[in-house]
Amino acid sequence: MENKKVRIALTKGRIESKAVDILEKVGYDVLELRNKGRKLILSIPGENIEVVLAKAADVITYVEHGVCDLGIVGRDTIMEHGGKFYEIADLNFGICKFALAVKKGTDFFAGYGVKTVATKYPNVTRGYFEKKGIDVDIVKIEGSVELAPLVGLADGIVDIVETGTTLKENGLEVCRNVAPISARLIVNTVSLKLKQERVLEIVDLIKNERIRENS
Amino acid sequence: MVLRRNDLLTPEGTRDLLFEECAAKRTVTERVTRLFESYGYSEVITPGLEFYDVFNGKVRYFPQETMYKLVDGKNRLMVLRPDSTMPIARLAATRLCSVELPLKLFYNQNIFMVNPKDSGRDDEIAQSGIEILGGNSGAADYEALVLAAKVLAECDGDFRLEIGDSGIFRELIAQYGCDEKTAEEMRESIENKNFPALKAFEYDNPTARALVELPRLFGGFEVFGKAREFLYGEIVGRKLDDLEKLCVELCGIIPEEKIRVDLGLVHKKDYYTGIIFRGYVEGYGQPVLSGGRYDTLLGDFGRDAAAVGFAVNVEAAAKVLLQKDRSRFMKSPDVLVFGEQGAEIAALKYCGELISEGKTVFNYPEMHIDLARKYAKEHNIGRVDIVDKDGKITSEEV
Repeated sequence: MENKKVRIALTKGRIESKAVDILEKVGYDVLELRNKGRKLILSIPGENIEVVLAKAADVITYVEHGVCDLGIVGRDTIMEHGGKFYEIADLNFGICKFALAVKKGTDFFAGYGVKTVATKYPNVTRGYFEKKGIDVDIVKIEGSVELAPLVGLADGIVDIVETGTTLKENGLEVCRNVAPISARLIVNTVSLKLKQERVLEIVDLIKNERIRENS
Repeated sequence: MVLRRNDLLTPEGTRDLLFEECAAKRTVTERVTRLFESYGYSEVITPGLEFYDVFNGKVRYFPQETMYKLVDGKNRLMVLRPDSTMPIARLAATRLCSVELPLKLFYNQNIFMVNPKDSGRDDEIAQSGIEILGGNSGAADYEALVLAAKVLAECDGDFRLEIGDSGIFRELIAQYGCDEKTAEEMRESIENKNFPALKAFEYDNPTARALVELPRLFGGFEVFGKAREFLYGEIVGRKLDDLEKLCVELCGIIPEEKIRVDLGLVHKKDYYTGIIFRGYVEGYGQPVLSGGRYDTLLGDFGRDAAAVGFAVNVEAAAKVLLQKDRSRFMKSPDVLVFGEQGAEIAALKYCGELISEGKTVFNYPEMHIDLARKYAKEHNIGRVDIVDKDGKITSEEV
């Protein structure tokens, strides 16, 4: 049977290297992916698969528009960016969480004043507080968000927390968990229907490999 | 401060269509219009501006942040129509209220929606569609689906017509008996085939288990067999049987491999009550066609009647046609006609003669023959006809 061409978008960096490991264990030839140089489109020989390397939010954009069939991207980016695609599997790596953190010893929810929250993820933050029915001012910060409460810009931050070391070193602590995060496999809605067999074959290979590794 | 002017831009999500893009779009519109007319549908055009209330009723909820709004002279809230089905339902319940059903209507008109910033999506979308109002629902469903398949085939590419039944989800969620918020969360997760999010519900009870399975139940007709392992109960079972019968019978007219089933089709559009379907065409990353049965919508406007319909995204279909073969939409005139000084009227007269012979012409508006030859060459016009003062014509091949 003819293998329809499939294009997979990987989030550059840590997700990419783990994803390449998975693709290798699945039995794909990932030589080109390991020695990629500066190339952004790479191929998996013999499989008619193309791998595209992109920034996290762009992985979603490419998949949403259907120029890539599949994508591997963090739940954090999906939550912040949104979009229309199938979020078909949790790959159980890149595990961390969104959390609300405050200066150690302070109570974020005390009093009735409107609190200010600094974050790189305004949509996630807005969604979280809206759900709780709490009015907050959100300030978007581009760099190290931990700084904001320390210099008095914000009462708290919503950020990705992995081990909590950065927080601790800056005198902050988690006061609420907002949402768990891990890498997700996403699929374009039309690709899943027009290339169902081929796409599901790849999805299953990746999923089963993850189950094998985690068992 | 210099005021920033936007007079050289088009708003985000809109654009000017040029030349072959227009031709391809017109081809799609002409093809589907011919199809709808040959099946006896009557054309309607509804206003581009409608009252906000038309799109904000019990079973017709359009999120307000997705509509372009303005106010009329009496300060009433208006919108650029975000959909054509609501206005047609309004029409059927008002001006057409004394016209007997069934009514078969079609339209070619644009809809408007506010998309997220920088998403690259169109805010203005040309749609063509049909609505069958009233009539025996089974027969109407068949007709809508068959016409949908014919419309998809007009895109000249590999296509799939995917069918589901919104009643199955509705019934299951009612059985599950959760609050509205949880129901909406589940609906969203099912629509997005978000299996990680659905995992939380998996082991609650058999109904939850069935809901979690819905998004997995897509593909060919083997889906029905698989579905019966998870979906039981009288009502759901009957809906499943009906859907299977519908799909199997459609094979008598649409090739089986073009028909797909997805029981996880659960649109946000709350007005769908029965079958619901989408069309995909190779070469376009989003559904090109979408529709379904909406039996309560007309009642919401005050005229109780069942209905089914669909809309096709004309620009998406045109894009697919252009990808296939751009050149067939790039037409050059057959003859460039050059009238010498003083022969302008004679040249126009000659143009008329050529046109009546079935040719297309380009009457060159400048007074320099070398420029005319150059223009003809650059624009793939194969022949230059020069008309002189005495009305004599000299033909040149380019």
